[in-house]
Amino acid sequence: MLRIDDLHVAVGGAEIIRGLTLDVPAGEVHAIMGPNGAGKSTLAYALAGRDGYEPRGGKATLEGADLFAMAPEERAAKGLFLSFQYPLEIPGVPTLTFLRTALNAQHKARAEAEISSPDFLKQVRAKAAALKIDPEMLKRPLNVGFSGGEKKRMEVLQMAVLEPRFAILDETDSGLDIDALRVVADGVNALRGPERGMLVITHYQRLLDYIKPDRVHVLAGGRIAESGGPDLALMLEREGYDKYLKAA
Amino acid sequence: MVARVLSAGEQTALAHLPPNVRLADRLLREKGLPSRRNEQWKWSDLRAAFDENVQFAVVPDIDEARTDAAAARGDFIAMLAAAFGQTETVKVAAGETIVSIDRIEAGQFTPRALEIELAPGAAMTRIVIQPAQAGLALDSVRVHVGAGGAYRQFILAEGAKLARIETHVDVAGEGVEIALGGVYLAGAARHVDLTSVINHRIGGGTTRQLIKGAARKGGRGVFQGRIEVARGAQKTDARQYHHGLLLEEGAEIYAKPELEIYADDVQCAHGNTAGALDEAALFYMRARGIPEAAARAMLTEAFLLEAVPDYLPEDVRAEVTSRIKAWLGGAP
Repeated sequence: MLRIDDLHVAVGGAEIIRGLTLDVPAGEVHAIMGPNGAGKSTLAYALAGRDGYEPRGGKATLEGADLFAMAPEERAAKGLFLSFQYPLEIPGVPTLTFLRTALNAQHKARAEAEISSPDFLKQVRAKAAALKIDPEMLKRPLNVGFSGGEKKRMEVLQMAVLEPRFAILDETDSGLDIDALRVVADGVNALRGPERGMLVITHYQRLLDYIKPDRVHVLAGGRIAESGGPDLALMLEREGYDKYLKAA
Repeated sequence: MVARVLSAGEQTALAHLPPNVRLADRLLREKGLPSRRNEQWKWSDLRAAFDENVQFAVVPDIDEARTDAAAARGDFIAMLAAAFGQTETVKVAAGETIVSIDRIEAGQFTPRALEIELAPGAAMTRIVIQPAQAGLALDSVRVHVGAGGAYRQFILAEGAKLARIETHVDVAGEGVEIALGGVYLAGAARHVDLTSVINHRIGGGTTRQLIKGAARKGGRGVFQGRIEVARGAQKTDARQYHHGLLLEEGAEIYAKPELEIYADDVQCAHGNTAGALDEAALFYMRARGIPEAAARAMLTEAFLLEAVPDYLPEDVRAEVTSRIKAWLGGAP
């Protein structure tokens, strides 16, 4: 599904990702853990296509399609979704309008029919309710004045509505209290399925108690320093990232 | 004294001026049309824009006294309006409420000057719509607001070779409420200038001003806004905001916000920004699948619509919204 091969990414002249190779098959959830500054968010931005995060070398494909040959919106239409660590505020654009525009743009890019307004509203309301999002919030400009936790719920709502093939969750647990974490994790888990892959980026093991990964990778020094099963996350929680920092 | 060399436009204007308007004649000969050397016109060079190709309308009876009076106080738009365009006085009686819609249409040179007198407790909403045009568009209003009166104004200006819309408000009584809104859209080769002076002479009044605008490559937006609070105009509450969006390289926005406060028990605030769209927000939208051009148009539209007030009549609001959308859609 998502294949990354010997990826190198420089930001502002400094190489942050240095030869990263990773393969996440359909149906699996992989976690990437690592110390601050290891390049976790850089990896997420490079895959999603943010300006200034272009690869210097290597490849990344989603279901065989070259991600780096596509504009960010084409990657999204192809089925890539990035849940932002710091979701942006979009002043003046009501959440519902934003969601409908994004969904229809993706449908159009894939030559699929537009979704009808009643169907869209029904679907969004049901998905918002599952995430305990007040329907009134859907009328407000997206993320404007929302708390950190509300923004993260909105990210998961967008993911639920857009139904991507592959989701990257960048520090989705940051800013969440324990109740919100449970709600968000339930939302993410509801989207797990045999056709969908996920990459969960996190600094802390806590999130992985709720979103159980199939594989855990340690990102340090711009590459995957170690890979293992869920136990690896518990070991990191106990021992920290020191040994990787020294090695890097 | 060495005579000033007159510009072609000044010579054309003088040729159209009847002999009796001596002050206007003298002003044009000695000072000339305002240019970038005049502080109040430094970003809107009327002398350069006013060339010999200006198409004068036929004005049957030039108001000579008014022309000279405007010339005497150096009010160029009012002077040109009295000599070559339209002047009008509107009086709103105590307790009365009126709504007016002024359109500044393309065509012959028709500068306009409006005097509005609001009696105590009178209320007026004035809407100005200036569609994009190739010529000169000059408009000036002087509003005198009596105690407890309310003046609300909204301008949608799409610019011209040179468009300048001036608003002068004289707060002449206690408890006056002023709301000034505006959106300017400066496309390629368009110049649009919204200039305002609000003078709180008497206390207890409020002013809310919010102007937003966008400029494209080759377009120029100008905002000049002065709020004066006179000595003794205590409990005045004035807020002024101008936010401009530079949509492309080569777009220009100039702003001069000014607060002049001589009273000590007042609340005044202002904010002024000019910049490009938030690239991070653009990326966020694109990462959700919204193509770049659509994302830009959505963010710009949302930005501008925040300055379109809720109080506009339904049909006006619809027209303003569709003009903004059309302007954004006509983008390269």
